[in-house]
Amino acid sequence: MLFACAETCEVYTNTMSTPKTVIQLKHVTKQWGSLAALNDVSFKVQSGEIVGFVGANGAGKTTTISAILGFIGATVGTVELFGEKVEPQSAHKLHNRIGYAAGDMELPAKLTARQYFSFLLHQSDGDYADQYKELVQRFKPELGKKIGTLSRGNKQKIALIAAFMTDPDVVILDEPTSGLDPVMQEAFLGLVRDLRARGKTIFMSSHYLTEVADVCSRVLLMREGVIIQDVSAQQLLKRSGKQVHIVTGYKAIRPPKGASEVKTTTKGTKTTLSFVYNGPADELQPWIASVKQLLDIEITEYNLEGAFKSLYESEEKSS
Amino acid sequence: MMRSVYLKTLYDKRWFIFGWTLGLMALTALMVVFFPAMHQDGSLDALVKNMPPAFQGLVGSLADLNSFDTYLASQLFDIRMPLIAGIMAIILALGLSTAEEERGELRTLLSLPLSRVRLLFEKWLALCSIMAISVLGVVAAIYTIGPLIEGGSIELSALLRLVFMTWLIMVVFGTVTLAAGFATGSRAAANTLSILVIIGSFILTTFGQSVDWLRDFEKFSLLHYFPAVDIIKNGIDIVDVVVFCSVIVVSLVAAVVIFRRRDIA
Repeated sequence: MLFACAETCEVYTNTMSTPKTVIQLKHVTKQWGSLAALNDVSFKVQSGEIVGFVGANGAGKTTTISAILGFIGATVGTVELFGEKVEPQSAHKLHNRIGYAAGDMELPAKLTARQYFSFLLHQSDGDYADQYKELVQRFKPELGKKIGTLSRGNKQKIALIAAFMTDPDVVILDEPTSGLDPVMQEAFLGLVRDLRARGKTIFMSSHYLTEVADVCSRVLLMREGVIIQDVSAQQLLKRSGKQVHIVTGYKAIRPPKGASEVKTTTKGTKTTLSFVYNGPADELQPWIASVKQLLDIEITEYNLEGAFKSLYESEEKSS
Repeated sequence: MMRSVYLKTLYDKRWFIFGWTLGLMALTALMVVFFPAMHQDGSLDALVKNMPPAFQGLVGSLADLNSFDTYLASQLFDIRMPLIAGIMAIILALGLSTAEEERGELRTLLSLPLSRVRLLFEKWLALCSIMAISVLGVVAAIYTIGPLIEGGSIELSALLRLVFMTWLIMVVFGTVTLAAGFATGSRAAANTLSILVIIGSFILTTFGQSVDWLRDFEKFSLLHYFPAVDIIKNGIDIVDVVVFCSVIVVSLVAAVVIFRRRDIA
C-alpha cells in the first residue's frame, strides 16, 4: 500500500529528513499591462509542508501557480524550485519532480483516460505501475471512456491521478476538489494526509477553508496580488468559535470577556450586538442571563469561512 | 501507441486526416475524370480566348490541356491544390497551436517534463506527416482513376516531383501558421498572417500575369516558386526548394525563439 502508511511513514520522515526549501518566491511581481497580478510576493515552502493557498477569485492564486510552474515569467523577482531558478524556457527540467492538477484543467478530450495515463507514463522515467494501480483503486475513474465525454468530477479524478501517479516530490494543486463529490473529496483528502505522513510537499489553492484547515500545516492568504497572511492552520482554527447576535431594548449593553469582532447598531429602541465568542460556553451562559430587556438571540457556529472573511476585511481596512 | 506528442497528435487528428485526404482524393478524381472533356472540346478554347486577360490567368495555358500530365499540373496542382491544401494547412496548424492554448490543453502538456522546443517540433513533424498522407492520397487517386480514362497516364517520376513540391508548399503554409500560432498564442494573429500569405500569393500569381502594376510583386508570392507545369516539363528548380525551405526554417526559428520564453495563457 504505497499511499496508506500514515503512522510508519511519519516516523520515518520525521527522523530521517531535514526540511529543505523546495519552492521559493523572492519579491515576485507580475505585470499584465498596467495591472499588477502579483505584487512583491515572497514566501517559502519547505519539504514536507502542506501549504494551503487561499484567496478570493482574481486574488492572484493561479498566476502564482503559473509562475511556479514556469507557464509565465516574473516581471520582477525570482521563482525557485528545488533551489533552481524557474524560467519558461527551462521549467520542464524540473517538471519530472512535480505533479500538477487544476480544477479547470483541460485534458485531451479525444483520448480515453487509459490512453492519457499511458501517454503520461511515457513522458517520465521510472516504473510507476504500482502507484497507478493504487490511485485507480482509490479514485475509481472511468478508464475506457473518452475524457471529453466525462463529467467534470470524473475528469477531475483523472487530473488528480495524473498529478500523483509519478510519485513527485512536490504536488501543486489549483482548486483540486472543485467538481468532486463528497466521497471523492474525502478520498482526495485521505491521499493528501497519507502523502503528508510520507513527507511529501503539497502546495494547494482552494476555496474550501475546511479542507485547507483539515490537511494543511500552513495557510497563505492572498488578496489583490499580495500575500496578506502567512499563518499556521492551528492559528486559523483558533479564530473559529460562536457567532452571537443579541437584540435588546437596553442601549448600554457590553459584550462578554473573550468576545471579538464586536459590532453594535441601534435602530429606534432596539440595539443589536454581534460578536464572535471563543471562550468556554459555561461562561457565555451567565452573561446571556444578565442581558437586560433581551428581545432576540441567535448563536451560530463561526466557521472558517467567517474567519477568512474577517481576515480579509481587516486587511482591507488596514490598507 | 501514445509514446509521444507526435503520435498523440496523429491519433487526435485521425478523423481530420481521413476527411481531408478523402476530400483531396475526390477533387483529384473529379479533375481526372474531366480530362477527356477538357482536351477534346474546342469550344473551351474559344470561350477562354474571349475572356478578359485577367480571367485567362485563372485558366492557364490552353496548350497544357492537351496532355494528361500538364493538364493535371495546370488545372489541379497549379492553383486549386495549393489553395485548398493551404486552407487545410491553416485549419490544421491553428488546431495544433492556438486552439490548444485557448482550450488550456497546452498548459496541461507543459506541466509535463516536456520542453517547449520539443513540443513545437513534434507538432510540426505531425503537421508534415499529415500533409504527406494527404498528398499520397492524391497520388493514389490519380493512379486509380487515371488508367480508367483515355490518355490518363502519367510518368511516376513526374508525378512524384509534382507531389513533392505540393507537399512542400503545404508544409510552408502550415509552418507559417503554426509558427505564428506558437509565437503569438493568438488565433486572430495567426489566422490573419496565414490568410494574407495564401490569399496574397493567390492574387499575386493569378493576376500578376495580366495586371501590370502587380507584375513586379509577383515574385513575393509563394506560388511563384511552385510552377507546376514547369515541374512536369523540366523538373524541380532547386531555387524554389531553397526558397520554401528558407521560409520554413525562418518561421520555425522565430517561433522557437519567441515561444520558449513567452507567457502561456
